[in-house]
Order: sequence, then structure tokens, then C-alpha cells
Amino acid sequence: MTAIAPTLEAAPARRVKIPLAVILLIPITLINLIGFVAPVINLLSFSFREVQATGAMTGGSSIASWVAIVTDPFYIELLVNSILTSLLIVVLTLVCSFPIALLLHRTTGFARTVLLFVVITPLLTSAVVRTYGWIALLLDGGVINSLLSLAGLPTLKLIFNSTGVVIGLTEILMPYMILSLLAGFRRLDPRVEEAALTLGANPFQTFWRIIVPLTLPGVALGSLLCFVLAVSSFITPKLLGGGRVFLLATEIYDQAMVTLNWPLASTLAIMILIVFGGALFLYLRALRAIA
Amino acid sequence: MLHVPVTGSSESAAGEGFLSVRGLNKRYGDFIAVDNLDLDLPKGELVAFLGPSGCGKTTSLRMIAGLVPATSGRIVVGGRDLTTVEPYRRDMGLVFQSYALFPHMSIAENVAFGLKMRKVGRAETEQRVREAISMVRLTGKESHRPAQLSGGQQQRVALARALVIRPSILLLDEPLSNLDAKLRDEMRNEIRDIQQRLGITAIFVTHDQAEALTMCDKVAVMNAGRLEQLGTPVELYEKPQSPFVASFIGRTNRFAAVAKNGAAELAGLSIPTPAGMTGKVEVMIRPHRITLSAPADGAPCHAVEGVVTRSIFAGDILQYEVVAHGATFLVEQGTAAHERPLEQGSPVRLHWLMSDTYVFGAAA
Repeated sequence: MTAIAPTLEAAPARRVKIPLAVILLIPITLINLIGFVAPVINLLSFSFREVQATGAMTGGSSIASWVAIVTDPFYIELLVNSILTSLLIVVLTLVCSFPIALLLHRTTGFARTVLLFVVITPLLTSAVVRTYGWIALLLDGGVINSLLSLAGLPTLKLIFNSTGVVIGLTEILMPYMILSLLAGFRRLDPRVEEAALTLGANPFQTFWRIIVPLTLPGVALGSLLCFVLAVSSFITPKLLGGGRVFLLATEIYDQAMVTLNWPLASTLAIMILIVFGGALFLYLRALRAIA
Repeated sequence: MLHVPVTGSSESAAGEGFLSVRGLNKRYGDFIAVDNLDLDLPKGELVAFLGPSGCGKTTSLRMIAGLVPATSGRIVVGGRDLTTVEPYRRDMGLVFQSYALFPHMSIAENVAFGLKMRKVGRAETEQRVREAISMVRLTGKESHRPAQLSGGQQQRVALARALVIRPSILLLDEPLSNLDAKLRDEMRNEIRDIQQRLGITAIFVTHDQAEALTMCDKVAVMNAGRLEQLGTPVELYEKPQSPFVASFIGRTNRFAAVAKNGAAELAGLSIPTPAGMTGKVEVMIRPHRITLSAPADGAPCHAVEGVVTRSIFAGDILQYEVVAHGATFLVEQGTAAHERPLEQGSPVRLHWLMSDTYVFGAAA
């Protein structure tokens, strides 16, 4: 054996070995470069272009767009409003989704399949269709207000304001939250809950001291995902806000397609990316704190 | 060290145990998991619930802990009827097979959890947690997370967590089954030592008869939801009351026979049967109670001629398979120096005491 070993080692020609992982990463890297990095760079360059009132971009560069969004109270309010509305939607989505995810986690067999199907089905329907469904429900003469007036109660203004946007987006984002929570519930062990019970924790204490801390990774993941989707949502705020609710994504559309101020639209788009970066940073911080 | 307070008014009434279970039933639809369990355990004893998987031992334990509601029956501890009391008000310590530690808490926080729920003051909590952790020899690991400890260490944390609340009863649900063999022996002694030192009443669920026999004061053998026999390890081994107990505890030769006129025929022998027993019976003899020579003191015994058909040397014991009058006997002998095992085909004469012969009516 010892005599053979050196020849075996010497036999293959010396070649640079590329690890398989690197080779497998090449396609996704290319796709991301072409489909994501290049457009973002393009956006970034647009945001520094000079624009005329007609919307025509001159060849010159300008920081007017950036100055506008950090000094104009309208854009500052737009940014704050977008973030706060999205946070409210995240909280409501979480509160509505948590019990469903917990039930789903504890259901087994056929019932689980049915329940999971019910949770996922909305994802198979376009957000536009679901938003029109909400319009039918929320309109001044819609289902909810008709029922309210039948019951002799005052009607509510549920649509073409922030309320409508929050209601619609909360429902639309719930499946994402439920699935994220479910993925994070793997640490939940029924034996651990039983241990808490036998140690004297009542069901309420068991929920807050054992179940909630163990589900925080899922909560963090779902919150990040829903926040990102809420900030960048466009169709639902557009239709349920009735042009009266100003959020980042709708404003970008207006600037790009109505006002034709592409540099400003680009600047706002970059702003969204910065907000996402901040959200991701907070998520990673939170993960480290709760792990 | 920890002291276990006497719960309830005082010692319970004579004839009733510290833990008294009456007519406990658990049904899942048509399936009877636990069938009419009656049990009285004295204070301070370690009792095993022993049986094959699915015999209802874990379900019984979980009913006593309050984690599974009983279909019917009563559970009384120290004179206090706990049947409908919620698990978090039962004051029992439960140790799980899977440890079930709180993964997001440190070892000290895990142990302190029960005291926190009981609103014990900070100074007392700290002291009791320190004592409990030192009792299971984990001093220095207080700030570790459960995932940083080995399986044996985690189970010791679970034990400390259950004991620090000074429970009325300590319940152990297969606590050693996830540990490797060497650790299992160590933990077995450790649990027994701590249980005796604290004088705590404890129930130990296991499917391992060696665990049950070696560490427990009493063993409750369960089968198919029923309590087959409750007794000391010696009683179970020497005076099994059912064929299940005789065959489940230790190894045994089982023969089917027919009882007629007060006797059953086995390998040409007439084995006396208990009065009134007729029809199919089972005769059982422990392999190591069969000898190759007649007892020296002339005690009444059965004897039969046979031929060795298989001979196995297993170091500490010799195992022979002997065929006598069509019946195959397993015979075990302790080995001694300079002894030559009998070879296949050797004629032998088997002897066993009449009192070592068990006859049971065959199960219907």
C-alpha cells in the first residue's frame, strides 16, 4: 500500500478546484445581478438626475430629489405615516394570526390538512380580487354598514381612509404571518407546557412565560415579512385608500406614472430599500436577543 | 437539605395509603386505557408502575398528575381529594422522559420556576435553588442553558426542578429511557438515594423490569390497562399471582396443560393444581430453579429424565435446552471453576421444588 500511495497522489494533474457550492451559486448570483443589483444601481443613478417640470430628464445631475424628501414635510410625513401604518398592520396581523397558528400547530391528521388548506387558499387568489371583496364589505352602502343600520346602529366610515387600508392589508397578510409563525413553533413541546403546569403555572402564566417566549423567533420572522410586504403594498392601499391615503408605494406610482417625476420616484424607491435595511437590522438584533 | 412537608391534616386513615386511587378509569372511545385501577401507596415509598408499552402505566401517572382527566374514579393524596383539581394546584413534581426543560431559561431559572409560580420570596428562592442544584451535583452550571448540558445533566436539572417545590408526590415518567446504559445505572442510584434521603413518596413509570425490581420498594405490574399485581420485588418474583406477572418478571418456562381431578400432566409428571381448577392451565417454572441434582435436604420436588439438545455457555451462566417427554425446558445453572458444560445429547435428570412450580388457569 505504501508503495502505491505516492503514485496515486501524483497521478491527477494539478488543477484549481472550484467547490461545488460555488458552481451551484453562479446562476442565482447572475439572476440577482441582472434582476436586482443592476436595476437598483439604475434607480440610484436616476435619483440623482435633474428633471424638468414636464418630466423630461436633462442630462445634468441634481440632488433636488433627495433634498425634497428629507426637507419637504409632505415626504417626511409620508415616510413616517408609511412606517407607522405598516407597524399597526403587523401588530394586528400578529394578534389575529397567533391563535390560528397555535391551533394549527396542535391539530393533527385530516383536520390539520383542511385547516392548512383554508389558511393557504387566500394566497391562491389575487390581492386585487380580495381587495374588491373588501370594498363590497366596507362601502358606505356595503354589507357591514347595511347590517349596522339594520341593527339601528350608526354607520362607520370604513373605506377610502386608513381604516380600510389597515383592514384589507391585515387580512391579506395573515396567511404569510400564520405560515411564518408555524415555522417558528417547532420549539414548542407539549411536554414543556405540561412541565410548567405541574410546577404551578396556570394556563395564563404558561402562555406568557413559556409559549410566547418559545414562539418569538416565529413572531420576529412573520413580523419582518409582513412589514416588508405592507410597506411595499400598492394595489390594496390604492383601491381601499381611494387616493386619500398616502403611502410610499402609492406615492412612487403617482410620481412615476402621473407626475412623471422619475428621479423623485427613484429616490422614494431607494428610501423603501433603506427602510427594509433598517427592518432587517432590527430583525437580526431581535433574533440575537431572543435566541 | 430539602424537607417534604406533610400535606393535608395529618396521617391518613388506617388502611388507606398516602396516595389512594379508587376505581380509576380512562377510556378513549371504545379503547380502555386504564381499567378500574385501585392503589394504596404508603408515604415515603418508591413504587414502580411496570408494564409493556400501552399497558396504561403512563396514562395512570398522567391522571395522577392531572394532565389527563379521568373518565371515572378518585385520586386522594394525604386525605385531599384531587380528582378534579387542576394540575397546577396539585403540588406534584413530574419528571419527563424527554426532560422537558424550558429551553429559553438558564438552569437556575428552570429550577426557580416552580418557586416563582408559588410567589416564594427572593432570598428563600435563591437558597432553595442553590440547595436543589447542589443536591443533583450541578453547582457551577446555574447560568448554563439546557442545550449546553448532557442528557444525564438535563435529567438531573429536571429532578431538581420537580423537587425544589417540595411536592407531595414525585412522579417519574420513564426518566432513564433516553439515557445510555452506564448513565442509566448512575441515575438509578442517584434517584433512589435522593428519594430515600427526602423520604418522599414517588412513582416511577418504567417498562424495564430491572429498574423496577432493583430500585423500588414496591412494583405495580400493569397489563392491558389493569393492575395485575402490586407487591415487593420478592413477592412478585416468588409469588406471582397471574401468568402475566410470572412471565413478565424474570425468565420462565411456560407449558400449556389440562387440569383434571386436581392435577395436570406435564412431561409425564402429575403436577398438583389448586383446588377447583379445571380445563386449560399454564404451568411455569423458572429456568434457574431447575437443578441437575436432587435437593440435598430432601424437599419435595418434581424430577424428570431428559436429553440436552442445546448447550450455551454465557460466562456467568450455563443455559441448557432439555427435552423431556416431548416438553422443552430451559435450564440455567451458575458456572463454577473447572466445570465442564454438558454436551449436546447428554442425558440429564431435572429437579425442581414443588413450591417453585406455578400453575395458573389459562387466560380465556
